[in-house]
Amino acid sequence: MTVTPKPTGGVGMDPVANALSIILMIAIIGAAWILFGWNTLVFKALVAVILGGALVGFGVHFVPVGGAPAAMGQAPGIATGVAMLAAGAGLAGLFGGAFAVPLGLLTSVVAGGIGGALMMAITCLFVTLIYTYGMGIPSASGKVKVDPITGDTQAEYKSQGTEGHGLPFSSFAGGVIGGFLGGFGGTLIYYALLQVYEAKLPTLLSASASAVAPVAVSLAGIFAIGMFLVNAVLAAYNITGTTEGFHDPKFARFPRAIFASLAASAVCGIVAILVAAL
Amino acid sequence: MVENIVIGIGLTAFAGALASVAGAAEDVESDIGSQGDPNSQVQLAPQMGYIHRIFNKAVSGEPPAYGLWVALGAGLAAAFLQVNINPILALALGCAIATLVQGIYATTAYLGRIASLAKFGQPVYIDILKSMTTVTMAHAFIAIFTAVTMCYLMNAALGHPFPLALLGLVWGIALGAAGSATGNPFYGKERQYQNQKFGAGVPVAASGNIVRYAEAGERNSLDNGWFTAKLGGPASGVCFGLIVFLELWRTVLFESFWAGWGAIFVGLILILIFTFIDRYAEVWARETFGPYAKPEGAAK
Amino acid sequence: MTVKIEVKEGGTPHNTIMWAGLLASLVCLYLGAGLNLAFNAYTFSFFGGLAAVCAIVWGSNTIKTLCSYGIGTGVPSTGYTSFGAGVIAMLLASRVSWYLAPIVLVIVAAIIGLILGYLANNVIMMKIPVLIKSTVELVMVGALVLMGLALMTTSSYSLLSMVSTQTSLLGLPVAGHAGSFIGIAIIAVAFILGMIAVQHPFNATLGPSWQQDRMLMLAAEVGFLTMIPVAFMSIAYLSPLAVIVSIVVSVGGWFYTYNQFLCLSKRDAAAWLDAKPIREPEGH
Repeated sequence: MTVTPKPTGGVGMDPVANALSIILMIAIIGAAWILFGWNTLVFKALVAVILGGALVGFGVHFVPVGGAPAAMGQAPGIATGVAMLAAGAGLAGLFGGAFAVPLGLLTSVVAGGIGGALMMAITCLFVTLIYTYGMGIPSASGKVKVDPITGDTQAEYKSQGTEGHGLPFSSFAGGVIGGFLGGFGGTLIYYALLQVYEAKLPTLLSASASAVAPVAVSLAGIFAIGMFLVNAVLAAYNITGTTEGFHDPKFARFPRAIFASLAASAVCGIVAILVAAL
Repeated sequence: MVENIVIGIGLTAFAGALASVAGAAEDVESDIGSQGDPNSQVQLAPQMGYIHRIFNKAVSGEPPAYGLWVALGAGLAAAFLQVNINPILALALGCAIATLVQGIYATTAYLGRIASLAKFGQPVYIDILKSMTTVTMAHAFIAIFTAVTMCYLMNAALGHPFPLALLGLVWGIALGAAGSATGNPFYGKERQYQNQKFGAGVPVAASGNIVRYAEAGERNSLDNGWFTAKLGGPASGVCFGLIVFLELWRTVLFESFWAGWGAIFVGLILILIFTFIDRYAEVWARETFGPYAKPEGAAK
Repeated sequence: MTVKIEVKEGGTPHNTIMWAGLLASLVCLYLGAGLNLAFNAYTFSFFGGLAAVCAIVWGSNTIKTLCSYGIGTGVPSTGYTSFGAGVIAMLLASRVSWYLAPIVLVIVAAIIGLILGYLANNVIMMKIPVLIKSTVELVMVGALVLMGLALMTTSSYSLLSMVSTQTSLLGLPVAGHAGSFIGIAIIAVAFILGMIAVQHPFNATLGPSWQQDRMLMLAAEVGFLTMIPVAFMSIAYLSPLAVIVSIVVSVGGWFYTYNQFLCLSKRDAAAWLDAKPIREPEGH
C-alpha cells in the first residue's frame, strides 16, 4: 500500500502547543533560577544555550537547500540535505569559535559566526560556478518573480519543465546569513557549556582545572554538536526539507521553529548542564 | 615570533592542500557510488522501466557518512596514539580500518536497495560490487587519510583545543557538505542526464531516464568517476581546500590584531569578495546564456 | 519527483520488537557491567556492544514505522535527533550508580523524547500519528546505543570511567583524564557510529520489495560492524584479553549476519547476475 504523501506542513500555528512550549521553557528557566539563583554561571549558561539553540533553528531557515531535485537542476538551491548542510556550516563555525574562546565571549561567538558564514559563502560560490561554467545554466528562482535583493526578474531564466535552478543572489545571501547564525548559535552553546564544565568538573572529579580541561572541551563540543543537530532537524521538519532562503514563502513558518527550538534547547540544555552541576 | 608565523602559514597551506585532495577524492568517491542526492535518480530509474548497471550505494547523505568515516579514522588513530603507537602508523591504521567499514557499508547499501527494487525487475549485478567497491574504497581512503592528517595537524601543530576525533567529526561533516553541494549538480545533471539539453535543467518529466549506455557497451559507475574527476571532483577539492585554508589562514595570521577582531574583520572582507565573485558569475550567466524562450507551463 | 516509500504489512509487529529490543538491551547492559564488577575484569565489556546491537535492531524498525509516513527530510534525519538528544540523556544517567543508570537512562530519554516529539508534532505541526511515540523510542535507542558502546570501550558506563584512563596496554597505568573516553572524544566516534548505524538498515533497504526480516538482519549486521572499530578503540582502556574477546565476538557476529544478509538479498532480488548485460523489460 502506498502511504500518504509528504506532509505539507500547514502554514497555521497551534496556539495551545506554542503556549505550552513557552511555558515549558519558562518553567525550566524558573527551576534553574530557584535551584541555583539568577546571578550564577549555571543560570546564565542555560539562558545562553536556549538563545543559541533558537539562533540555530532560525538560521536553518535561511540556508537554501533544494534536496534531490537541485542535483538535476530541477529546483533551486544547494543539492544536499538541509540539516546536514547547516551542520557543516555551523560546525565549521564552531571550529573557529572554539579557537577564539580564550579571547572572550563576544569575540568567540562572532568568530564562530564568521567562520560559518565564510564556509557557506565559499560553498554557495562554488555552486554558482559549477552551474554557470560547468553546466551553462543561469540561476532562476521558482518561488518569486523578482529577486528581492537585486531586482532581477527570474521567470524567463527558468528552463522548461523545472521549478528553477541554481542559486539566485538572495539565496546566496540567505546561505551566508544562515551560516552566520548557525556558527554564532553553535559557538554560543559551546561557550556556555564549556564555562559550566570548566567550573564544575574539577570539584566533581577532584582534579585540577588543567587536568580536566580536555574532558570539559570534549563534553561541551559533543553536546554543542548534539543540540545543533536537534535544533537543525526541528527546523528542517518545519520547512519540510527544502527552501530557497528568506524569500521562500516557507520562511514565514519560522516562528513555529523558534518556539520549538526554545523549548527543545531548554530541555536539552538543562540536562546537559545537570550532568556536571548536580 | 616571525618564525612561529611562518611555520603557522606553512601548516595552514599544508592543511589546505590536504583538504583539497580530500575534497576531490570525496566527490569522486560519492559519484562512483551515486551517493547523495543523485542517488534518487538511480533509485527511480528502474521504477520508470530503465534497468541500469550503476552502483547505488546509499549509506546516507554525504555529510553524515563522511562525518562517520573521518571521525572513525581519527578516533581509531587517537586510541592507537594512547597506546604509544607511532603517529604515522596510527593515522594510517585508523584510516585503513575506517575504509574497511566504509566498504562494508557500501556493499550492504547496494544489495539492500537493489533487492528492494525486485518488483521493477532490477537485478543485482554482483560484478558491480566486485569491481566498484574497491574503487570507492580507494578513493575513500585518500579522502579519509588526508582529512584525518589535516585534523591531526590542527590539533597537534596548530593547537586547536578539540581532540582529534571531535575535529574528525566536525571536518568530516563539513567535507561532505562542501563536496555534495559542489559535486552533486555536476554528476546529477551533467552526467546522469547527458541525454538532456545542455544549459538547461532536467525537465521533471524526464526524471528517471538516466543514461545507461556508454560510448561502447553499458555505462558503469567507473565511467561516472572518470567524468566527474574532470570538473566536479577538482571543484569540490578547491571548495573544501579554500574553506579549510582561509579559515586557518585568517586565524593564524590576523587573530593577534585587535584582540581577535582582526581575524573576524578579514573574514568579513573575504565573504564580501566571494559575494562579488558570485554576483559577477550570476550576471555573466544571465547575459551570456540569455533568457530561455517564454516558459509556458514551466511553473506548476 | 522522488521515490515513494511504501509500507508492507505483516512480519513481526513493531511493539514486539520494541519490547524485545528494550529488554534485551537492558539485560546486556546489566550483564556486562555486573559481570565486570563481580569478577573485577574487563572481559565482559563486549556485552555493551551486544546491547547496542539490540537497540539498533529495535531502532531500525522504529525508523521504518516513522518513515512510512514520509517526513520530508529523508530517513537519516531521524537518526540525528535520536543521538543528539540521546547523548545528553546518556551522560546524565551515567552520573548515578551502575544498577540504576540504565533505568534512569530510559526514563530521562523518554522524557526528552516525549518533549521533542510533542514539539515536532504539535508546534511544528508535522501531524504524524506515530511521531511522538517514535521520537521517544529513538531517543531511548540513541541513549542505549551510546551507553552500550561506552561500556564496551571503558568496561563501565559510569561517568567516572568515561572521563579517566584506567590502564594502558603496556601495563603502565596512565593517570589523568586527558586520554579518556570523553577526553579524546571517542564518544564523538560512538555518537556518529550509532547515528549512521541506526538509520542505515531502513535507508538501505527501502523500496517496494522491502522485507522486514532482511532489514532486521541488516540492522544486526550493522550493529556487529559498529562493534568492530569500537573493539579496536577499546585497546586504549581494556586488558588485551578483553580486547581480543571483543574482537572475536564482533567479527564472528558480523560474519554470520553478513552472510545471512547476503542470502536474504539473494532470496529477494529479482535476479542475481554476474557480469551480465542490462535486461530491458518488456515494452522498452
